[in-house]
Amino acid sequence: MTVGGLMNEKTNKLKWHVLFIITIGLISAGIYSASQTINYKWQWHLVLPYIIDTSPIDIIAQEDANAAVNADGVITLTFDNGEPSRVISGADQVLISDGDLIFEGDLLARKEGIRSGVLIDGLYMTLKISVISLLFSIIIGLIAALMRISDNPFSKNLSVLYIEIIRGTPLLVQIFIVYFFLGTIFDLDRFTAGVVALSVFTGAYVAEILRSGIQSISAGQMEAARSLGMTYTKAMTYVILPQAFKRTLPPMAGQLINLIKDSSLVSVISITDLTKAGREVVSGSFATFEVWFTVAALYLVLTSTLSWGIQRIEKRLANNDR
Amino acid sequence: MTDKQKYTGNDMIVTNDVDKIYPNGCHALKKVTTNIQRGEVVVIIGPSGSGKSTYLRTLNQLETISSGEIIVDGVKMYADDTNINKLRENIGMVFQSFNLFPHLSVRENVMLAPLKVAGRSKADVISEAEVLLTRVGLAEKMDIYPNQLSGGQQQRVAIARALAMKPDMMLFDEPTSALDPEMVGEVLDVMKSLAAEGMTMVVVTHEMGFANEVADRVLFMEDGVLLVDDIPENIFGKVTNHVRLQKFLSNIR
Ligand SMILES: Nc1ncnc2c1ncn2[C@@H]1O[C@H](COP(=O)(O)OP(=O)(O)OP(=O)(O)O)[C@@H](O)[C@H]1O
Ligand SMILES: [Mg+2]
Repeated sequence: MTVGGLMNEKTNKLKWHVLFIITIGLISAGIYSASQTINYKWQWHLVLPYIIDTSPIDIIAQEDANAAVNADGVITLTFDNGEPSRVISGADQVLISDGDLIFEGDLLARKEGIRSGVLIDGLYMTLKISVISLLFSIIIGLIAALMRISDNPFSKNLSVLYIEIIRGTPLLVQIFIVYFFLGTIFDLDRFTAGVVALSVFTGAYVAEILRSGIQSISAGQMEAARSLGMTYTKAMTYVILPQAFKRTLPPMAGQLINLIKDSSLVSVISITDLTKAGREVVSGSFATFEVWFTVAALYLVLTSTLSWGIQRIEKRLANNDR
Repeated sequence: MTDKQKYTGNDMIVTNDVDKIYPNGCHALKKVTTNIQRGEVVVIIGPSGSGKSTYLRTLNQLETISSGEIIVDGVKMYADDTNINKLRENIGMVFQSFNLFPHLSVRENVMLAPLKVAGRSKADVISEAEVLLTRVGLAEKMDIYPNQLSGGQQQRVAIARALAMKPDMMLFDEPTSALDPEMVGEVLDVMKSLAAEGMTMVVVTHEMGFANEVADRVLFMEDGVLLVDDIPENIFGKVTNHVRLQKFLSNIR
């Protein structure tokens, strides 16, 4: 190719990039003007407190006491029952005076502070339930995959049954069954029920991914390992699974991203994950559109960080071999 | 031939009336009977599909047999109390397609079984791996991955990997068939040096030069039957009175 041809190709590509940016701009403008037609007033600032909460923190009395306040605004609480007195310093706004009689539950002072808002707490819950479910789903998936490829009809059938049932029913229904049926029998709290439902569900998909990964490793690998005297288990552990895991990294990443998105369904059993937090914030702030766009953006942050991380791992592994 | 099949203390591998019928009904081995002595180099030749690989693979039970008996180093392979993994530790195997572990470096390929199967100490295993890899001429390649090696180099690593378990016998299934012609020599040289050291070897190969030079005995198989079991001089000499063998050899040349 000539230098001129290369240049041409570059300007050509640039044109499409520009068109892409213009299109995105138009879509955004479209969304905005569509909201204008229904007289929607965008109030993004209403969302901010639910992300970063800067409202003052209330300091509340734990029990009845006598209060002393000195010139520096340091409160000293003394108790009638002989407990050692408590000192509260660093308050930004003192709401009682020296010598006041304090009753349990009284507002004593306020302190400035930055806390995570409801949406960030929800994000954290989503992350937590996803990571824990991920670990369990890999364990369940690995066991199911190994049972699926075993020669033993019992293990094989059990695994096939599990995979078919899970993949043939909606996750939402599974969550209800786990929470209302198993949850009642085994006295599971919401969080545990959510983790169980998500891991069992994702485990079935992980099992199929791992099974195909294991079966994609050439039979010669197992034969070479066995010919060295390795047991089936050792050959799996040191030879087959490391290769299979690596090969299944891309579909596993997809499944993992699905897990994060699927976790939004646990909000139906009142786990305050990102989606549930979104619903709560909407009813508190009435900034419906802003909140849901924000919630979507936060999910996107989670999933894109994850897929970026996995791409990094893939690249690093690819440098080693193949 | 009959007195040869009796088990003497010097037999490394005894196979008596070994039959193999695959689940699909293919009758791959028919009453194969022969003994392989300690330190003997036996080369198996025969047309494609004659059962050479199948026979070799029954010797470390990568294939189970349908009937007959196999005794390795005095241990009955199919006795109830035989631990096949223990038996295999003593039988090295080299494959046509190398089958190196691609996720492990050359050194780790050699070290894996001594560490995880024999449970030897890491320090010992590292130095042993270096000795073995130096021996097959790959001391400089220890820390790279198999896919960066030529076919000939990969096969030499595979031999080192098998030797790392300090086996008393080695099985080779067409070790040079997947190699470019210019790399065949380097692999055969390693095998020759093993033979010279007195390793018991069973080799399936189409390298008639190697068979003639190195083999103590040549087995000719056809259609699952061990047709000829003789010294190389009688196989490759000008006059062999066996028609099928004659035909096979003339096709190869
Ligand atoms: N896993 C298997 N299942 C069914 N039949 C098989 C299997 N492996 C080999 N066979 C059949 O057994 C017979 C002997 O095969 P084998 O691979 O032992 O021959 P071979 O002498 O090694 O041939 P080649 O020189 O092509 O390697 C052939 O007819 C083959 O089709
Ligand atoms: Mg073969």
